[in-house]
Amino acid sequence: MYGPEDVESSHDVLVIGAGCAGMRAAIEAHDAGADVALVSKLHPTRSHSGAARGGINAALGNAGEDSPERHAADTVKGSDYLGDQDAIELFCAEAPGDIYQLERWGALFDRDDEGRLAQRAFGGAGAPRTVHAADVSGHVLLQVLYEQLLAREIRVYEEYFAWRLVVGATGCDGVLAWDLARGGVRALAAKAVILATGGSGRVYCGSTNAHACTGDGMAMALRAGLPLEDLEFVQFHPTTLVPSGLLVTEAVRGEGGLLLNAKGERFMRRYAPEAMELASRDVVARAEQTEIDEGRDVNGSLLLDMRHFGREKMIERFHGTRDLALTYAGIDPLEQPIPVRPGAHYHMGGVATDVDGRSEIENVFAAGEVACVSLHGANRLGGNSLMETIVFGRRAGRAAAEQALKRSGSAGLAPSARVDGERELARLLERHQGERPSRIRDELGASMHENFGVFREEGGMRRQLELLENLRERYRHVLVDDRGEIFNSDLVQALELGYQLDLAVCMVSAGLERRESRGAHSRPKDFPARDDENFLKHSLVRWSNDWLDLSWKPVTITKWQPQRRTY
Amino acid sequence: MQVRLHVQRSDPVTGETRLQLFELELPREATLLDCLEQIKDEVDGTLAFRRSCREGICGSCAVRIDGRTALACRTPVAELVAEGHAPTIAPIGNLPVVRDLVVEMEPMWQKMRAVEPFLRPGPDCGLDGRETPIPSARLDAVRKESLCINCGACVSECDAMTVSPEFLGPHALVKAWRLVGDPRDDAVAPRLKGLSGEHGIWECTRCYLCNERCPKGVDPRDAIAKLGAEAIAARIDRDRGARHAKWFVTSARTTGWLRESELVVRTLGLAFSFAKIPLALRLFRRGKAPLPLPRHRARDLAPARELRHIVAGQDRRGALGIVQGERALERIDFICSPEQPVGEDEP
Repeated sequence: MYGPEDVESSHDVLVIGAGCAGMRAAIEAHDAGADVALVSKLHPTRSHSGAARGGINAALGNAGEDSPERHAADTVKGSDYLGDQDAIELFCAEAPGDIYQLERWGALFDRDDEGRLAQRAFGGAGAPRTVHAADVSGHVLLQVLYEQLLAREIRVYEEYFAWRLVVGATGCDGVLAWDLARGGVRALAAKAVILATGGSGRVYCGSTNAHACTGDGMAMALRAGLPLEDLEFVQFHPTTLVPSGLLVTEAVRGEGGLLLNAKGERFMRRYAPEAMELASRDVVARAEQTEIDEGRDVNGSLLLDMRHFGREKMIERFHGTRDLALTYAGIDPLEQPIPVRPGAHYHMGGVATDVDGRSEIENVFAAGEVACVSLHGANRLGGNSLMETIVFGRRAGRAAAEQALKRSGSAGLAPSARVDGERELARLLERHQGERPSRIRDELGASMHENFGVFREEGGMRRQLELLENLRERYRHVLVDDRGEIFNSDLVQALELGYQLDLAVCMVSAGLERRESRGAHSRPKDFPARDDENFLKHSLVRWSNDWLDLSWKPVTITKWQPQRRTY
Repeated sequence: MQVRLHVQRSDPVTGETRLQLFELELPREATLLDCLEQIKDEVDGTLAFRRSCREGICGSCAVRIDGRTALACRTPVAELVAEGHAPTIAPIGNLPVVRDLVVEMEPMWQKMRAVEPFLRPGPDCGLDGRETPIPSARLDAVRKESLCINCGACVSECDAMTVSPEFLGPHALVKAWRLVGDPRDDAVAPRLKGLSGEHGIWECTRCYLCNERCPKGVDPRDAIAKLGAEAIAARIDRDRGARHAKWFVTSARTTGWLRESELVVRTLGLAFSFAKIPLALRLFRRGKAPLPLPRHRARDLAPARELRHIVAGQDRRGALGIVQGERALERIDFICSPEQPVGEDEP
């Protein structure tokens, strides 16, 4: 079934994670002449990039006048002026070329009447610039990148769970991974490593993210001594289904879906009398959370009412949404409103990098949701994240290949690294008493939602840090039921939980210190206003020897001075 | 809600397989995946299964439920356990089991790689440095196929793969059509030649289970039919399967009915058919096949000719001629009803 596999291998460039950013990086590194391999805990097409629906932003100007400058201005404003403007300008300028390349690779984007790429308007954008493939844009990109990977015969270490960066005196020497399918620790040496592991949404119980989004790359970087930037910024999507957290498309509100509270009142009237349900994501999410906090909720949910659509419109236009509600909430939206609440959707923060994905360690790179360039600043615009995976995946791939090809000799890992890793996992596997990871995980998710959700305040965050300390203590005695070698996902889930706990501490610590409200970080009770004088800067969190160190770095401003953000 | 499930467990070391009964308590909107998660979290952490997105897009969690393949995350469990039924959950078929509900997907990926699953763009693609303009309708031909999430449900259900493990199978052929049908691809003829060989397009037995069970509505059998139609249109029709298909048309056109005894000769060729004479004689004797003479002929040839005329009038060549399954039946109703104009609902 499985051929014999060397426990050790070596490549120029190793990409951790095989979603859109990882595959794009690997393709570029390969084309730049490097021997590249991907390491992923999932088969590449199972990655969460595939769940992105709306589309990918580039100022092509196909559907109306547009320019990279306008795209940049919208992104800067959307970021609540926390995005680094040099990165944003570069991103917007390079985005169109990447779209054309994806099209030539075979991406099946929707077309307009002239056969050109169709573009639609998205929230926060001053022009229709989102290229799309129906409501499966991410899926289509993921497939086409995988096709290009196969065309180049790039090696993929599939279902390998990378769990440690091995850092020596001259930089990173590679990673240790657990081979899920066969069991055993693998030492993968590399001259350069690119982290592309995606987001961390599973830190929250209500999240649109897949089970796999456990922030592995961020936590690995943290443990290797790298700083994580702007971790306090998590985007919440206003309509996620209760209890599963699955995304209910914004199109429901676009087509006239109503948000109601327990009294049957259209509460958006009080928060955004003009735009009502169609106000921007953060505004609606905050309105909903206020209703919940003030007790006008139905078991922690608000109601999204689409009964007035009628059978015909429902089946024709919202077949998918109805199916979602029937399958996951047991509710037919033709007969009953569906329960929704704000859910964690996207992590703006991540491993601090420059515009080439380079981190503080010269040969460690990061791209995609795991990274913080910073493109999104305090708030991401819809359609920018898929584009980010492509632009910065490509740039990181190119830079990593150049870096690797400059390093002489072959990559190698000290044998002791693998032995240490094996010993550590053996300790975990030999434990016969303790607590199952699921209980700790569930408490983590619920408490983060409660104390570090849409709204934050000093007391709640302090409580959360205490609670996290308790959860981390309990995690020291976590019990893995499965002691087998073959497909031991129980072990992997326990390791993931360790990552999540570390990340949560960093997120809350950074949030506590950011004494202002900006973008997705909202503190209405203690610091309701944006404070450019003191906080127009990025937070940086490091962790060494169980000591958390928080520092700040300035925001790069090129053209756009901070202004009040109104829509 | 009380849920009782039998889960097929298999030990990766000993290869031993057994059914294990689990009794769970879940909310009424729970999915089958929620059940598996609860087992793993609270009852038995050694249960192995794949999962990630829990919304039917990553394609990880296909399993067989009482023998029918479906995504665990898209299956509300309430329907399964109605009237106290305890369903049996087993790994998907036609792929080797690794452990419990986890199968080795590599054979499926190998077949996908065998169809060179990447676009080979023509020289005039993106000449001005921008996108190649393509009418939206031209891309409709491959839209359904582009929805494939590689879950393996079609492979699990494929009877032809069970009998002939080397058959490329529905999943790889969907990918093949995704490229053959793409107006930007410049390698259509070599692709069709490669796909028309042994274990290719014509090995499908047309059981339609892949269409029936695909969780994304990809309709793999339709993709295979489109490949066949394009191959014949491009005169890549030397394979027995192609000859077999062509004979159906010839027979229907000339006598209105299928002439089974001639079918063998037309498909296998004269030399190979000699070897089948003893079988043919046995079939004739038991009344399982008609004698070659007199020719099998419909009393009235007009309806068959009329049908042919309608199709020809719609100018559907190659893949455009493929309308199948329930949708196809609906379309035939539509075409035949006099108050509706013909051809409004082009595919």
